[in-house]
Amino acid sequence: MELQDEFYNTSQYIETASGNKVSRQSVLCGSQNIVINGKTIVMTGCVIRGDLANVRIGRHCIISKNAVIRPAFKRFSKGVAFFPLHIGDHVLIEEDSIVNAAQVGSFVHIGKNCVIGRRSVLKDCCAIADNTILPPETVVPPFTLCTGSPGKITSELPDCTQDLMTDITVNYYHHFRPHGKGK
Amino acid sequence: MATYADLELVKYLCCCKKKFSVCRLYLCKYCLQLRCTDCTQHEVDTPYCPHCLENMPSGEAKLKKNRCSNCFDCPVCGHTLVTRSTSHTSPSPDDPTKTIAKKMYYMACGFCRWTTRDVGLPDQSVASGSWPILQNPHEQRISSLLENYKIMAQIEKAEHERKKYVSRRSHLYRQDKYGGSAAGLRRKGMSTFSSMSSTESKVPGELEPSVTVDSFEPLPNEYFTEPAALVKTTKLAHRHSVPEFQPTEISKLHPIHKHLLMRKSLRCKECEHNVSKADFNPSSIKFKIQLTAQHHVPEIRILTPSTFTMNKETIVTLTLSNPSVFGMTVSLHPIEDESDTDYCSAKVELPKKELLLAGRDEPSMQMYDDSSQADEFKDDPKVIVFRKGNKIGFVVKVTPVVNEGDVKIQFMMKHEFRNTTAAALQSESKEPEIVWLEHKVYMNLGPIAKKDPNVSQA
Repeated sequence: MELQDEFYNTSQYIETASGNKVSRQSVLCGSQNIVINGKTIVMTGCVIRGDLANVRIGRHCIISKNAVIRPAFKRFSKGVAFFPLHIGDHVLIEEDSIVNAAQVGSFVHIGKNCVIGRRSVLKDCCAIADNTILPPETVVPPFTLCTGSPGKITSELPDCTQDLMTDITVNYYHHFRPHGKGK
Repeated sequence: MATYADLELVKYLCCCKKKFSVCRLYLCKYCLQLRCTDCTQHEVDTPYCPHCLENMPSGEAKLKKNRCSNCFDCPVCGHTLVTRSTSHTSPSPDDPTKTIAKKMYYMACGFCRWTTRDVGLPDQSVASGSWPILQNPHEQRISSLLENYKIMAQIEKAEHERKKYVSRRSHLYRQDKYGGSAAGLRRKGMSTFSSMSSTESKVPGELEPSVTVDSFEPLPNEYFTEPAALVKTTKLAHRHSVPEFQPTEISKLHPIHKHLLMRKSLRCKECEHNVSKADFNPSSIKFKIQLTAQHHVPEIRILTPSTFTMNKETIVTLTLSNPSVFGMTVSLHPIEDESDTDYCSAKVELPKKELLLAGRDEPSMQMYDDSSQADEFKDDPKVIVFRKGNKIGFVVKVTPVVNEGDVKIQFMMKHEFRNTTAAALQSESKEPEIVWLEHKVYMNLGPIAKKDPNVSQA
């Protein structure tokens, strides 16, 4: 099935010069520490905690409604340190998910209602099924699908995951249209 | 997208008569056939640990029973354990009045909070590598059995003369189950014959046969008289995760060495060419060889869901995208003698003309490009609904013939394929040969609309 059009209210979204579409109802804390590389959609109710550490988000990412992106911390003997969070290109984060990872690679799909535990590392081309809880410091290798609580590797993704994810994020961006415009 | 959009609606028939979505199929360039993971030969390229992502030669992995030596799983929930450090103060050996702080390490699960201290394992002075390994009480018996099986396999192999010479390969076959197959032996530098002569002296049968168990000890009375301590008893899953010990009490659980995953390569079973070979590095997503069908076979998808009623013609728009950089001609034909009745729940009227597809132009794909190319291709607007880059939308007319269930259709897709293999290039004066490939396509268009009982009564 091809993706269907999804409409948004132009007054609710800010479109930047590089093509990012960021909802006015999202919470971007410490916006000077947040870098979004372009053509990324940040939807209503999202929280990106740039005040804790730097957050870098690649191109063609989709951060769906009410998702929370927050850099991970680690407790050391002399207090707490936050780690910068890097999200690669063509990453799809679905509704109500909480991402506390240290690193999210490119072409990653995170389902609805997921919790990505503290300092987890999601490598390129992996997927997290809906309602998965990844405990802290999990590593998800490429071409694997994690499901359940605690998240475990349950199946393999096809070899062409990279093309599939590119296709979906690019198409999603094209189908994410303002009201009243479009065909 | 394998996990996002529903790709299972459109399936292609593999040469082994199984249906798969196009992203799960491979196109062997040499046989020009679709191959799925079931009709390809799987070979282990590199075993690697899914936690530390360190790869291991397959021989070493076999010795370590396909487990990582540094990473451990929690025996309770199965999550990876993390090493924690604590400082431990002990009296100094030189001066008993002073104490020295020493770093000690233990392992803890971040999910269920299980720690190695729970089962009384002492803290270690080094961060990794010093955890005690439990000895399997049956190890000797198992190794003698294995040894025997290896000898048996060698004898069997020698008896069946090899049909044809199999070229030397450095990889490990999955079938090599006892580690004694001919390919495995050659790798070790032994010829089949020399190993045979050495095994002739070792006649199988030296092995002590297993003893039949006639009766079991009756269950101890405590099982009936004492209340069950469910908190202290392990679950079946805990016991299955350590088959060699099968601990019955929580206090006997021990960290489990993490299982390795593997990078595998796939080989066409007929021509033995590789169809997929991943990069050596476990964290890389590149491929040395990747003949996935997604890159060669045009992909059909449903544009929008439609509503169907029995015996009523419905227009369905499908999209067709061309994965290659060259233009492509595609034609669709009905399947006349179809034995699969599952996909016959509707009559379908396909476009009669050939469909022309423009080549895929990667840089322009990510742009907003609404310019119409319809003039370029002289499309019939009744058939081609839209044309955008390498993708077209075309209409088919579907008439369901059943009154409930899903509307499923099938047809044959013929498309051009530029054969760029070395063999094809030599014969045709360096110009890629264009061949026509045929694939059977099976589609599930969605359910038939439920009749409103009020309407039918009226």
